[in-house]
Amino acid sequence: MSAAIKTHSLSRQLIGGVLLAELLCAALFSAVAIGHEMHGRRRAFDVMLRGRADSLLGAVQDAEDPEDNVTVDPTELVLPAQDLYEVLSPSGRVLGHSPASSAELLAALSASRAPGTFNFRVGRERYRAVRFEGVRVIDREENGGYRRPVTVLYAAPTRGLWHGAVEAVWFYIAASALLLAVTGIALVWFLRRRLSPLQELAAIAGRVSTRSWEFVPPAAVLRTTELAPIALSMEELLKGLQLAFERQRRLTGDAAHELKTSIAVLKSSLQLLSMSPRTTQQYKAGLEGLLLDSERMEELVSRMLTLARLEEAAVEQSESCDLPSVVREVAQRLRPLAELKEVTLEISVTEACAVAMHTDDAELLCSNLIVNALQHSAANGRVSVVVQERGGIKGVVELRVADRGDGIPASALPHVFERFFRADRSRSRASGGAGLGLSICKAIVERSGGTIHIESAVGTGTEVTVTLPALPTSA
Amino acid sequence: MRVLVVEDEVRLANNIAEALRERCGFAVDCAEDGTDGAAMTEFKHYDLLLLDLMLPGLDGLSIVRQVRRRKDMTPILILTARDQPAQVVELLNAGADDYLTKPFDLGELLARAKALIRRGKGAPQPELTVGRISLNTVEQTVRCAGELIDLSPTEYRLLEYLIFRPRAIVSARELLEHLYDYNWQHHSNVIEAHVSNLRKKLRAVGEETTIATLRGRGYRLEAPEQQL
Repeated sequence: MSAAIKTHSLSRQLIGGVLLAELLCAALFSAVAIGHEMHGRRRAFDVMLRGRADSLLGAVQDAEDPEDNVTVDPTELVLPAQDLYEVLSPSGRVLGHSPASSAELLAALSASRAPGTFNFRVGRERYRAVRFEGVRVIDREENGGYRRPVTVLYAAPTRGLWHGAVEAVWFYIAASALLLAVTGIALVWFLRRRLSPLQELAAIAGRVSTRSWEFVPPAAVLRTTELAPIALSMEELLKGLQLAFERQRRLTGDAAHELKTSIAVLKSSLQLLSMSPRTTQQYKAGLEGLLLDSERMEELVSRMLTLARLEEAAVEQSESCDLPSVVREVAQRLRPLAELKEVTLEISVTEACAVAMHTDDAELLCSNLIVNALQHSAANGRVSVVVQERGGIKGVVELRVADRGDGIPASALPHVFERFFRADRSRSRASGGAGLGLSICKAIVERSGGTIHIESAVGTGTEVTVTLPALPTSA
Repeated sequence: MRVLVVEDEVRLANNIAEALRERCGFAVDCAEDGTDGAAMTEFKHYDLLLLDLMLPGLDGLSIVRQVRRRKDMTPILILTARDQPAQVVELLNAGADDYLTKPFDLGELLARAKALIRRGKGAPQPELTVGRISLNTVEQTVRCAGELIDLSPTEYRLLEYLIFRPRAIVSARELLEHLYDYNWQHHSNVIEAHVSNLRKKLRAVGEETTIATLRGRGYRLEAPEQQL
């Protein structure tokens, strides 16, 4: 849908993460192995160095010169050609050195003064060297021998050491790399397989639209602990959404139906009137009918707009009215209608009691309920309107409007607050209703935080109960 | 011709009925809800059913299905305020013949009603002829060799009903059922009186086509053999 959002794949991330961890492990393992190998080899190297140095010490001989000096005779020794050595007298005089070595190398070798092993580097070649003070006894056979202290410096290139160590652990490194590749492939396969319910879920969710609401999570998804709650809550959500969507669509359709029917009445009345020449009397009657039709349409539109207004705006703080006085006023206004229908209108209200409702809305609510009750009452019937605090509970006001009319069938009762619903359509049409009266009442009551309830039995009558939170008396 | 209008909006139903009576000369009955409407279709008195789709009791679509299940061939015209294609398709597939969306033009409604009745009786053209007589259903006039015959509305309706089925025997009862609505007091001898007047008027213009009375069986529009 939007290319701007950078997506990242969960499975790719998982595989990447696991492989990276494996790679780190393998690298660490190889490093440790190489380190261990190097340590062992270095120790062996040191022993070898010392051994060679010792054998060099053995090569120190009497120089057979007048100063009774000693010299090094390496002719009997078999030492690798790339090794370098130096034998120094205590005074620092060079008694002998490896013959093939350059002066630069020998200078680097003799730079160290401390005994023991040390490393140095000449050019690109690395060396490990040992320096120790030794005593050579010369001419032991003659007069117990002369003790000649000398300093032996011996070095060998370490080039082979590193290569040897790497070669020794090479197998482990190769095995790790192979393991890495195998687990990588296995992981891709495994994750693909294991994540397939997630993909299925995504595919099914993707198919849901306002035209097709079908969302049945597959069994594989429901069996997955992590996915089941998501799938179930999605299913629940979509069902609710579908209901709301369909209700909205039905509502719009119903509103259009009512309006179109009203227009159809007007249009057909006009066309009928103009179809053939009429007498003045007929025109007059026709115009009167048209006036009634347009008044009914006006009523319908105004009711639809009232309902839209009530549902859109939230109740304002300043809105308040005195319910008992509104009921008295409305009853006063409707008395002529009651008399016309020969119905007794009984009013029983408490003292002043304010509710969070605009006076106009309260009047609309009361008149809708009372007119409904009057219209459903037979001659000599009785309609009672009661306003009281509910069951002695302060802060709750109850408005009850009851008639002893024909009642509402049980099958229609759950739908009476639905818009455009008419239990008896032909009759309500005759009385001018569009099935919006009770919907408007419900909207008014709910906007003020109250509830509306209807009870009815065919033949006994209907009672509407409105419960509203009372405002604290400002007096 | 007799038409049934099933429409819960009484004002609309009355307007339609008035227009059908005034402009087409049809007998019209009205029903306000689907249940009554469905019951009235069972008499098979009607030459056209005009149904609203959204009705209390039983909706228009259910009535269409009921009528067609009985193998009733009566043409059905549906009035609807909703015109989603899916709904129209469902209606036509259920057996409705035509539909009009509200708000409709009254003139169009009348034209469609007449066309459906003609089609239902196997005559697509608006002018019907028998012998030298030609009857124009649009103008509601009858001519004999081009010369206008002055008929009363009832005589015209009688001839119109019979001319769709020349040479067939139509009972007096059927004529009563199809030419008068429920508000009319039924007297079978009224038919005989109108038939007799019609016969006289045809004879007056020298037309050989006549309406024969077959005692106990009914009436028959008869034209000279060679002219039929």
